Amino acid sequence: MSRGSISLATLLWIIIAFLVLYPLSILVIESFKIAETGGWGFGNYIEFFQDAYYLKTFLNTMLLSTLVLLTTTVFGVPLAYILARYRHRGKTIFTALILLPIVLPAFAGVFAFIIFFGKYGTVNLLLMEIGLTQEPINFIYGLHGLVFIQALHMLPFIVLGLSAGFTNIDPSFEEAAEVEGASGYRRFFTITLPLCTPSYLAGAVLVFLWPFTDWLTPLILGQVDFLPSVSYINISYHFTDIHRKYMGIVAVVVSSVVCISLFLLARWWVEKKKYTGLSKGTTSEGRVVEPSPLVRSGAYVYMIFIAILVLLIPIVLGLAAFSRRWVFEPFPTYWTLENFRLILLESPGLIKNSFLYSCIALVFGIAFGLPVAYLIVRTRVPGRDALDFVITLMLAFPGIAIGVSYLLAFWEGIPLAQYWIIMPIALFARRLPYFLRMAHSSYLQLDPSLEEASEVAGAGKMRTFFSISLPLLLKGVLVGVVMFFIMAFQEISTAVFLYKGGWETLPIGIYLNWHRGMEFGIAAAMAFLMIVITFILLLIISRIGGGVLKAAWGSGEN
Amino acid sequence: MPKTALKLTIFITLSSMLLLGPIGAAQVQAADKIGWVGPVYKELSASLTKGFKAYYKKTYGKDVDITFVRPGGWPVCLDKVRAWKGKPDADIFLGAGAPAHEVLLKEGLIVPYKPKNWDKVPADWHGMKVKDKGGMWTCFAPWIVTNLYNEKVLKKLRLPPPKTWHDLLDPIYRGNVVHTLPYASGTMHETIEILMQAFGEKEAWKYLRLLAAQLARFSTGSTDTTQLVARGEVPIGIAQPQMNAMAARKDGFPVRDLLPEKTILVPEAVALLKGAPNEKVGKIFLDWLYSDDGQKYVLEGRYFASNTDVQFSKWEKEGVEMAKHAQKALGVDSFWDLQVDFIEYDLDLATKRWDEVNRKYEYEIYRKWGELKSSLFLIEEVEGEIKAAKDAKMNASKAEAKIKEARNLFEYEGNYAAARLAASQARALLVSP
Repeated sequence: MSRGSISLATLLWIIIAFLVLYPLSILVIESFKIAETGGWGFGNYIEFFQDAYYLKTFLNTMLLSTLVLLTTTVFGVPLAYILARYRHRGKTIFTALILLPIVLPAFAGVFAFIIFFGKYGTVNLLLMEIGLTQEPINFIYGLHGLVFIQALHMLPFIVLGLSAGFTNIDPSFEEAAEVEGASGYRRFFTITLPLCTPSYLAGAVLVFLWPFTDWLTPLILGQVDFLPSVSYINISYHFTDIHRKYMGIVAVVVSSVVCISLFLLARWWVEKKKYTGLSKGTTSEGRVVEPSPLVRSGAYVYMIFIAILVLLIPIVLGLAAFSRRWVFEPFPTYWTLENFRLILLESPGLIKNSFLYSCIALVFGIAFGLPVAYLIVRTRVPGRDALDFVITLMLAFPGIAIGVSYLLAFWEGIPLAQYWIIMPIALFARRLPYFLRMAHSSYLQLDPSLEEASEVAGAGKMRTFFSISLPLLLKGVLVGVVMFFIMAFQEISTAVFLYKGGWETLPIGIYLNWHRGMEFGIAAAMAFLMIVITFILLLIISRIGGGVLKAAWGSGEN
Repeated sequence: MPKTALKLTIFITLSSMLLLGPIGAAQVQAADKIGWVGPVYKELSASLTKGFKAYYKKTYGKDVDITFVRPGGWPVCLDKVRAWKGKPDADIFLGAGAPAHEVLLKEGLIVPYKPKNWDKVPADWHGMKVKDKGGMWTCFAPWIVTNLYNEKVLKKLRLPPPKTWHDLLDPIYRGNVVHTLPYASGTMHETIEILMQAFGEKEAWKYLRLLAAQLARFSTGSTDTTQLVARGEVPIGIAQPQMNAMAARKDGFPVRDLLPEKTILVPEAVALLKGAPNEKVGKIFLDWLYSDDGQKYVLEGRYFASNTDVQFSKWEKEGVEMAKHAQKALGVDSFWDLQVDFIEYDLDLATKRWDEVNRKYEYEIYRKWGELKSSLFLIEEVEGEIKAAKDAKMNASKAEAKIKEARNLFEYEGNYAAARLAASQARALLVSP
């Protein structure tokens, strides 16, 4: 254990303390402040759980989370099974399509589905045209629409986890059950599913957390009685009603506590129930079945159904982006580039800011993530597990918790939030764990003997890092880099609390165009622009990293 | 090896400096600055930005950087200025009607300035104040509080456009109406003031409770309402600035505005903020805003211009695109030529209860919306049963008295739970009197 590692660890801990621990503790401290007396106490929390309105929003959010998780599970389990176990054509393309929502901005779906499933959207107009219905059907305004949109966005997390689980199960377990005479269903429910629990839970937690983070979808659908939307309104719309602000902070803290407890619970559960087989599976593909023609066509219909829903988002937004006044017509009739002209002419700053902030966040991410990964993988510095733990925990924090805590912590005292640099810093802090995991796995794959050889040959640690480790790491890290960039590029729940006039990014521009102007078309065009940029970036990683699946998920879990 | 850590730190610092350096340098470039805060719509801020930048460059040979903050509707913007506590992050309060500016005036957050063409704005009009005598605030874009409907959708649903405030309570419109919170939109706030001042406070709150039961949903702001009506998602929108119908029609949406029988003028105004960091540029902006050039950009920003010498027909010939649409929307050649009738509006009263109204609506109606609806729907159900019982010559007098009590509890007390209970009791009384 060298002194260098210790000072490096100290430095990284200082950064963590400054960017994570300090703001989050300010958040918690503020939630105990009492507006009326200026004192401290549990008053806000007591009010939160006694006030009919806040209690209702809390229960609504829990209900929504449960429904989203249920929906994604019901639709995700067969999907994951098909993708992992059936041998069929077009596996790669279906996998890529079904995983697509991960890289689409969450709010893109809302706009697309309002255009497509709205009261006078495409579906309703067609239905009325052929005379199936007389009056428009309410497809999306309400809890059902919210569940639909959020579930579609989160479906990949369940599918990814489960299909990895299905693939990794040692086939001998299931074969043994088969030999013992267990029927297909029984085998599935008693052997296969329990073995997949850990990988399912990892995704399920993320799904369950989503309704605690997503404030914009409910707002656009006019369903505001959910915790993140209420905290957003309490904190961002009110500047002098201090009590209301504290109640908003309490809502954020309550959301965070729920999210973190569930996250830890899932982790503990996985640790406890760790199923390990003695032998490794015989094939890297896992167990693959040749389905009967009937099952096969059913599987195809099912996959196509989901793929169409996913594809609707870029297609509808694309149509909306190249047209104007697309209302009361099932398909646009007036084509124009006006939307893009307006974006590029009137607000090129949005695009510039988006790239700038994401790039800077990325530089921070690399400068921080690589040393941390190095510490965790290559050294035995005390507290490295704690470092890993704290950063991984960031995964469970709702985005608005980070936005709000930065706003509170860096306004007075340390007035960082008065300068635009707060934007990339917040993006960096929010997406930290994603990058770290990728850097971590790249480091694991790098054979230490190469570095040792370099040091034996007389190169210092620094030189070894720059001439040996870094070039070797780069390829693996690059996937992480692009994924990090995409995530930062789409970030809104943190940024929306921190931006000031002139600091708007593309996602904020989309939100503002929807919220303050009458420009639905421009908002759609911006969302489409983001999708295009994301696609280009994905194309780049799929070139480097190989395989679209890998591109969507980075180098992943190992 | 402490060197490693040191070098890493240097690497991190250097790489971040490399990236940040050029940006910092670019921002130092000398350009004058001005900041606006206010609730005006995007089209207006974009138009004024374009016009003022061109004017500034032409007149002073320098660029001007404009930052525009629009945290939300009038009350939200007003709250933002309050939170700055006299050290504003902007120079001009751009937009919002009389009561918002009066609140700023009372709290000492704005300072007087009479721009060059100040005399071209009338002091009052049909009993409504258009500017402050001392020059604290001045109207630059007048409009009237209206409602909005989608003619295509109403025709499809075979519904006539609602003409009066009370028409809107007709059960045929249930689920086809949308409005926002008074805190989110000054127009909604003024609508509540109109109802309170025209019908009396008690009747107004009763009306608002009944109207809330007609809503399909709450929108998040007045533009959200416009958007929802224009796209046909909800066909009737309450509390809309008059020019929104013009703007939406210009964009090709089949919407019309409804001038309700009781309404007021909103003198969308500007004011100079106290402690403005760029006061000089702020005054230049205000002078420009009331010049012929500035007023044209107001109209191009889809708001009606305020100077009395404005003639749409003349501007149309000069190539102002929106002049044609304004003339079509208003039917006259200048806003001030409109023949209208307003309620007697007590501005002082409106100023005094500014925050209270927003709060009351939110806590008594918005937050209890679900409870409100279920309570009213139960009352209506039981009322139907009582009517059926009376038609069947049953004795329903006790139940009738009870259901009247329930309605009273609902409409005047706003006690939805008690009203529900009374309605249930009325139902029980119907079965065993």
